[in-house]
This record gives sequence, C-alpha cells and structure tokens, in this order.
Amino acid sequence: MVATSRPRTIAAAAPHEDAALLRHEAVWFARYLVDAIPEAALVERYVQANARLFAGPPTAGDAAILAFLHAHPWTLALLDAGTAFAHGAPLLRQKLVVMMAILEATPDFVDQTSQVDGVGLPLLAWRLGRAGAVAALKLVTGTALAAVVTRGTR
Amino acid sequence: MTADAQVDVIVVGSGPSAVNAAYPLVEAGFTVRMLDVGNRDTTYEKLIPDAGFSELRRTDAQQYRYLLGDEFEGIGFGHTGAGAQLTPPRQYVCKDTERLQPIASQSFFPLQSLAEGGLGGAWGAGSPPFSKADLAGFPISLEDLQPHYEVVADRIGVSGARDDLMPFLGAQFAMQPAVEIDSNAEAILRRYATHRGSLNRTGLFLGHPRIAMLSRPHRGREANRYRDMDFWSDAGKSVYRPRWTLDELRAFPNFSIVSRRLVRTFEERADGDVVVHAANVDGGGTEQHRARTLVLAAGTLGTTRIVLRSLGLFDRRVPIVCNPHSYAALLDLNTLGQPVRDERHSMAQFCLVHAPEGHLRPFTVGHFYSYRSLLLFRLMKDNPLPFRESLTIMRHLAPSFGVLILQHQDHPTADKHCSLVASDVGEDRLAVSYDLSVREQAQIDAIEADIARGLRRLRCLKLKTMRPGHAASVHYAGTLPMSAKDEELTTDKHGRLHRTRAIYVADGSVFPSLPSKGLTFTMMANADRIGCHVRSTLRA
Ligand SMILES: Cc1cc2nc3c(=O)[nH]c(=O)nc-3n(C[C@H](O)[C@H](O)[C@H](O)COP(=O)(O)OP(=O)(O)OC[C@H]3O[C@@H](n4cnc5c(N)ncnc54)[C@H](O)[C@@H]3O)c2cc1C
Repeated sequence: MVATSRPRTIAAAAPHEDAALLRHEAVWFARYLVDAIPEAALVERYVQANARLFAGPPTAGDAAILAFLHAHPWTLALLDAGTAFAHGAPLLRQKLVVMMAILEATPDFVDQTSQVDGVGLPLLAWRLGRAGAVAALKLVTGTALAAVVTRGTR
Repeated sequence: MTADAQVDVIVVGSGPSAVNAAYPLVEAGFTVRMLDVGNRDTTYEKLIPDAGFSELRRTDAQQYRYLLGDEFEGIGFGHTGAGAQLTPPRQYVCKDTERLQPIASQSFFPLQSLAEGGLGGAWGAGSPPFSKADLAGFPISLEDLQPHYEVVADRIGVSGARDDLMPFLGAQFAMQPAVEIDSNAEAILRRYATHRGSLNRTGLFLGHPRIAMLSRPHRGREANRYRDMDFWSDAGKSVYRPRWTLDELRAFPNFSIVSRRLVRTFEERADGDVVVHAANVDGGGTEQHRARTLVLAAGTLGTTRIVLRSLGLFDRRVPIVCNPHSYAALLDLNTLGQPVRDERHSMAQFCLVHAPEGHLRPFTVGHFYSYRSLLLFRLMKDNPLPFRESLTIMRHLAPSFGVLILQHQDHPTADKHCSLVASDVGEDRLAVSYDLSVREQAQIDAIEADIARGLRRLRCLKLKTMRPGHAASVHYAGTLPMSAKDEELTTDKHGRLHRTRAIYVADGSVFPSLPSKGLTFTMMANADRIGCHVRSTLRA
C-alpha cells in the first residue's frame, strides 16, 4: 500500500566515468545494509538502476554528501543517519533504497531481508531497543557531520 | 475512414462496468461489439513462477525483474499518490493514459486505464454492496439493484461472512464463505470479540470483508491458494478480473471485441442508428461503427470525455465526486513477537465499520491489510532512521504491521467539477478542480480520530496517517448523474443520457454521490441492470 509513483527521470545509460564510482557504492551499500559483498550481477543492476532513476544532476547538497562519501566510505552510516531527517528525499538515501530493493529481490539475501516473527517479546524488545539506541547515536553524530559536509551548499 | 457492419449494441470499454453491461445482452443473443484500447501486460505475467511468495523469494533468481520492474518502475520516490500499490506487473493498466487521456489539475491526479479489463486488472476486489442508506439521493432503490447484485455476485464470485457487518454490508445468496484471514487479523478479531459490546456501543464494528475473491472453485477459477501473490500474479484466477468475464463473452458467436480503438465521439443519426467514431491507436486512422444502441462504459473520466466531446460541450462544467482517502499505518500490539502463518492472501483481511448513528445513517468503512508481499524497502523509504537499524526494526515489526484504508463518503459541491478543454495539439484535456470544504475535512478528521480511539482499544497503535491526495481512492463518479429530471448531461434511472434516444452510460459517471464504500461492485450490478434494460428495449 505504501510504494509510489514513477522514477523521476529516465536516461539511456550511466555516464561511463560514473560507473566505476557507482560500482564502489554498490559494494559499500551492500556491506552496510546486509554485511555482504554483492555479486557482480547485482553491482551491475545497481549501476543500471542509477542510470534509470537518477539521470538528472544532483543538487549541491547531494553532490557534497556523495563526494564526501566517495572520499571517506567509512562515514556511510553517519551520512545516512545525518540525511535521514533532511528535507526532500536526499540522493544518498534514495540510492540506499535502490540497493536495498535490489538485495531484497535476490534469493541470496532472503534471510537478511525477510520479516522475522516468533522471537518472543523479551528478545524483540532487546533487539528493537538496541537498534533504537544505535540509531539515536548515529542520528546525533550523523546530523552534525552532514551539517559540516553540506555547509555552504544551502 | 472505414465502416463496419451494423450490430445491435456497441459497448465502449472492457472494464468491470463494460463486461457486466455486455453480459445480459450477449446472453440474450444480441450482437454486441466491444470497442476498447485493450493494453495488456506482455512482459511480466509469463515471468512469475506459479509459487508462493516465500518460496519464490528463496528460489527465483529472476524475481528482481517483476518485483522491481525492468525499468525499475517498482522503485518510486515521489509522493504516495493514486496507484501507490501498483506493482510492476500491474502498471500496464495505466499505460498510455498520460498521453491519450491528459488531465489538467492542481489538486486531482487520477488513475485512468486504457487496458483490457480496465482498472479492474489491478483493483483490490473489495465488493461491499450499497445499503439503503448508501443509496439516499439515487433515483433507484436497493430493490432495483438486489437481483443484479445476485447475478453479479455469482458472475464474479464474492466471498464474505454473515457476521456483525451484515447490517452494513448485506449479503447475497450467491456469496461464498469468507476466505481465511491471516494471523494479524485473527488476533485483532479475537480481541474485538472480547470487547464487542463496548466497542459496538461506541459505533465500531469489525468483520470479514466482502471480496471478489474465491474461497471455493467457481466458473473454472480456483479458490485462493493463500500464497500472498495477489498483488503480483493472477495464477489460479481467484481474484476477479474483468478478463475472466471477457473470456466467457468471447465464447459467444454474437460477441466481438475490436481492440486498439480509442472512441472519440458518437452521433445519433436520423435513421435511428448510432454511429461511433473511433481512432486506431496503432495505425492512427479513424473508423465508424454503427449500432442500434450505444453503451458507454469507458470509466467515469473516459465516458465523460466522450460525452462532452460528442455534444460539443467543451469548457462546460460537470460535477465530480471521489471518496476522500487515507491510509493509517498501524502496529498490532497483539501479535508483537508472535509467530505468524506463512499462508495468507494479500487482499483486505478485515473490514471495519464506524457507525455511531447506526446502519440507517451514513457510516464509514475501512479495510485492513497486513504488510508483506509489497517488500520492506518500501516501508523503509518513508522511515527517518538510518537504514541499517531501520532494516532490523522493520524486519521485526512488519509481521505486526498493517494498513487501514479508509474511504469517506463524498457528495457534489461547487468546488468539485471537471470540464473538457479542447486542444490543438494532442488530446483534449480534462480539467479537474476538486477541493474539500473546511467542514468536510473537519468531519473526516473527527471520524478518523474516533476510529483511532477504537483501534487503541483493539491494541492497534496508529503510527501515522497518510493522505495520498484527492484522486487516490480511484473511485470516480458523479459526472453524468442519474436524475429524475430531464436535464442536459444527466442520465435517467436506466442510465440513458437525457435528450438522447439510445445512448446509455453504465459506469460510475451515473452515481450522484458516493457512500464510504468501493463503488465497483454496485457499478457492476448497475451495469447489469442497464444491460437488462437495453435488452428489453431492443426486444420491444
Ligand atoms: C489499485 C486499485 C485498487 C482498487 N480497489 C478497489 C476495490 O477494492 N473496490 C472497488 O470498489 N474499487 C476498487 N478500485 C476501483 C475500480 O478498479 C474501478 O472503480 C473500476 O475499475 C472502474 O471500472 P470501469 O469499468 O468503470 O472503468 P475502468 O476500469 O477504468 O475501465 C475503462 C475501460 O474503458 C476503456 N476506455 C477508456 N476510454 C476509452 C475510449 N475512449 N475508447 C475505447 N476504450 C476506452 C479502457 O481501455 C478500459 O477497458 C481500485 C482501483 C485500483 C487502481
């Protein structure tokens, strides 16, 4: 019930010089989301999806975030958190959705992306509490980092 | 320009209203020609294995093609608007409409269809009949519709239960037993059963929905297999699609369908014939089709275009109604951490009625859907948390997550109208202006707040309300309303366009207003009623 509308823009293919960066992104994103290195076919799917969905030029803020990420891939978790509350849908978050969708539609990652039931209330509370606490920490640190990275672009 | 041999009746469209208007005519032996654009899915249907959702997720390496779409059209980032739930295999229903049925509006962005089976190729199959109270202001009564509800319930296969919702939803003799519900809905209904008395006193009632989905084999179709594939595939044909009726119609020698035709205008000739002018959407040429009677069933907006263009009434305002629509994201605390059954269907699990003044006064109907086969990434997209933690949280909460879809009643007002605007290049645009008054919005807010209170008593927590925009219910009606008065751009109680001899309208255009229920089942029953009436006029 909650998905929506069409891709923003459609392009024929990703510009060649971007493809290498996109391949890096695919690997970083998969490692971040499901702790795994994606197969080459998934990486190529990610490149294709970017070409289809994100053909327009990024905003200055999006470009700054992505440039920072490309230079410092280890900040991905913080940049993701830092842009979670940003106005509009930040490009980094949209790209993460794309990688998430690709992983979710791949049998290899079904265990990491399927619903979990029957764990009982105590374990559920512990897992949710832990995820919530980590998320809160990341949100605080990430928001500060994203503010620094995008300074001067607004 | 070509002319085809004359038939008794031309039906425009192949959606739910068209096939049900055609049926009694074809059955009676009249020659019926259906004119339709008839887009189809040529990509995805054949890719989807005949398996359950859990199984194919584990086994099918090609799943990304239909789950995400070859153009990644299943991954969207815009506002959650009309058709938000259309999966790539269902998106063909809206193909070409932006080009061939353009809309000009600031506030109303409808889904339209030029597909074989119309929007019925993707509908949710919710099929509650209208009650006496729902038909207030219509020039027809429940007694007029009742026999046609029966015929259509048998034709399309409706399941449901004789439970607390009987006074609001009624029942047909032809109704099949209810389909099984999932663990989530079961837990909520159990809680409802223990608090029934007090909840009913506040006007809240729960029960099984009426759905055009089979719980028993019927007319060559299978009972639902509980594979949670209903948003993706029609394997087994459990959910009703107008294509199933079309297949039955095709078996009659007196029925023909001419696809790839976009009907533009009709005219009534002095010799008594109706001539229909249609464009070939592939070749671009135009052709004429002749009949004794014309039945328009091109969807409310499609029919409105054809009528206004045929009568040359450009820029003339006609009313429009559409159920205001909201989604409430719910967390069912009853099932947190509990095991859930894998077997389930994907459609509405239970129906909620909010009727503080009882069933004789207007009431509000909602449908509860559990969330699984539409995939987690769609939930995560709208969740302002870092994705890694969001994934953990969503994976654990999704089994208890649900969406309550509410559709509020709608009546015509001065702020809801549309008109056809001629265009020199491309297609004429339908300009739609639609706004709710402050009073209407306040009523909706009050009802939703009341329902949220009732849900809390059922241990369902409302997380968020989403208002997907004015046209999002996809229930369009009221442009050529049935009226006892002989006025231009209205229809008589048999759907005949006033001031015409043999032009009938069989879709939602003729409903003067909309109660808080999906209109399609009633529209199909009414189309059957109109088809029966045309049959008797042709016999006479
Ligand atoms: C996702 C979704 C879920 C829904 N769920 C429900 C639900 O649960 N319950 C409910 O009651 N309703 C539901 N609906 C609404 C329901 O689908 C519509 O009310 C119904 O399909 C309308 O039927 P129709 O025959 O009037 O028109 P349509 O279904 O719009 O069909 C129009 C037909 O006319 C043809 N056509 C249009 N213009 C022309 C032309 N100029 N020339 C030739 N052919 C033309 C098209 O090709 C098509 O075949 C849902 C809709 C959607 C999209």
